[in-house]
Amino acid sequence: MNVGLGHYLVVSALLFALGLFGVIARRNLLVIYMSLELMLNAANLALVAFSRFTNNLDGQILVFFVITVAAAEVSVGLALIVALYRKRRSAHVEDLTAMKL
Amino acid sequence: MNIALLSHEWLVLLLGLGLLLADLWLPPAARRKLGYVAALGVAAILLYSILFVRLPAGGVEYAFGRMYILDSLALFFKRFFLLAALAVLLMSVEFAAEIQSGLTEYYALTLFALAGMLFACSANDFTLLFVSLELITISFYILTSFQRARTLSLEAGVKYLIIGALSTSFTVFGIALVYGTSGKLNFQDLAAVAPQLIGNKLFLFGLLWVMVGLGFKIAAFPFQIWAPDVYQGAPSPTTAFLAIGSKAAGFALVLRVLFTAVPAITAQWSHLLIVISAVTILYGNLCALPQRNVKRLLGYSSIAHAGYMLLGVAALSAAGQSAILYYLSGYLFTVLAAFTVICLVMRHAEGEDISRLAGLNQRSPLLAAAMALAMVSLAGVPPMAGFFGKFLLFKAALAQGATQHGYYWLVGIAILGVVISLYYYFGVIRAIYWPGNAPDPSPIPVSRPILLSIYACVAGMFFLGLYPNPVVTLTSKAASALQAETAAIHATATLPKAPRAAWTRSLLGPASAAPSRP
Repeated sequence: MNVGLGHYLVVSALLFALGLFGVIARRNLLVIYMSLELMLNAANLALVAFSRFTNNLDGQILVFFVITVAAAEVSVGLALIVALYRKRRSAHVEDLTAMKL
Repeated sequence: MNIALLSHEWLVLLLGLGLLLADLWLPPAARRKLGYVAALGVAAILLYSILFVRLPAGGVEYAFGRMYILDSLALFFKRFFLLAALAVLLMSVEFAAEIQSGLTEYYALTLFALAGMLFACSANDFTLLFVSLELITISFYILTSFQRARTLSLEAGVKYLIIGALSTSFTVFGIALVYGTSGKLNFQDLAAVAPQLIGNKLFLFGLLWVMVGLGFKIAAFPFQIWAPDVYQGAPSPTTAFLAIGSKAAGFALVLRVLFTAVPAITAQWSHLLIVISAVTILYGNLCALPQRNVKRLLGYSSIAHAGYMLLGVAALSAAGQSAILYYLSGYLFTVLAAFTVICLVMRHAEGEDISRLAGLNQRSPLLAAAMALAMVSLAGVPPMAGFFGKFLLFKAALAQGATQHGYYWLVGIAILGVVISLYYYFGVIRAIYWPGNAPDPSPIPVSRPILLSIYACVAGMFFLGLYPNPVVTLTSKAASALQAETAAIHATATLPKAPRAAWTRSLLGPASAAPSRP
């Protein structure tokens, strides 16, 4: 079977949808955060696939930036979740209720 | 490449790094004063920018392979952000006692967020758009949750983090789709090919998703969920910077993307923009009505103000864009005045209930007057900046009414929103001046730099309301940069339009025919 751009895009879209589903359905902050990373990587896959199949390197350069920024985001995000866990002894979204409408 | 082109950015970054270094050698007691050093540094950069930075004859200059642009719009926003950061830094010095540890990092992160904003308003490429947006957002994740001992602050930080990261992934996926269908990341290159892609669903989908990320930044309707919680939980100076800096950076990018990168497609999105603007105005104003927490109330009010400014985007005209810049300038002084007062009055209070403002007039007539004037300006009552800004926005939208009647409805809804907002803004003023018993009748000490900042904000509010001409000239010149670039693109874009059905083919593109497989 010849793997074309379409295949990559379908995988990327599936990963993105899976990540979005995880963000919406899961209740643990860490799992939500993992799902968010999955969404970012889905976008990276799409960028690399597009870049490869159009012979244009700009997309791959953007992927490097996305990976770097995602790493920074993870370090800040995990630190935040750990700080919240220490304070509340919980990493569940149901417990984020100090502020409400 | 001309390194002087990026002088604002690297000066701010150097200042931030310098502060972090200075922190190592200073005794802990002296660290609070570093905030004044930071503020002085930002003031010096602002002065340098006004006195020495001039645009070249063509009015536009590029760096990093046309990824970075310096034109009158960028320069306008750079000075705007520097002014905002200056007031925010002065506010943070007053707030220092509330921050248990890492005070210098707080100042430095404010400066790094400022650097992100300076880059954002010069973005001419999706790569720089993404990186600068993230520099702002990640700095704000930390700034929001800086009071680690307060649950509210941490909770606000985590909420901002999750929703921010979600909108980032949408943006990146959107950029991927735009890039995949057009092959371009640069805004001007994109503008040349965008007219051919009007019928390409994938391209439009990608653009819409990029707008999700920008909508999150400006807190426009479907992406505004985070705003009230984050505004309430974040430390007051951070909330002020979020309200003015982050929102203005979002608008700078919205203007660049919609009017430089894809003007042909924006012209077809007027319905969408009208609906988003109207719903944002109504949502912000209606939800603000029952609020008792001042910062939360200003959070909802900031959503409403994003809606008013989107009215200028929806107008799709140079007048509308110029009106947004004018409105932002008025909003800058107004919001900074309001948050400076909140920061001083509610420094030691756990809750920021409106009732804590009771008797403020007896405690400090100056702060009471500044807060009242800020509320009057936010509501849009005549002699203040907020009135003239709204007037310009409504005028720009009405001028387009002849082409589409939706604009009349939009202005009608916006005026309804203004009327609704009078109720809650005047509720704050009533709390200040109502002769009730103050919870703490002691007078509030006001330091000299803060005094200066409050006077400057009040003067700015009156100046923009009473003598609009100088600033209108400035903003219309800045907005005209957007038009000039668009015109130049249209002059060069002589490519024929592709038939609509060809979108599947253009998705793959001719170059994709035979990618050499390893």
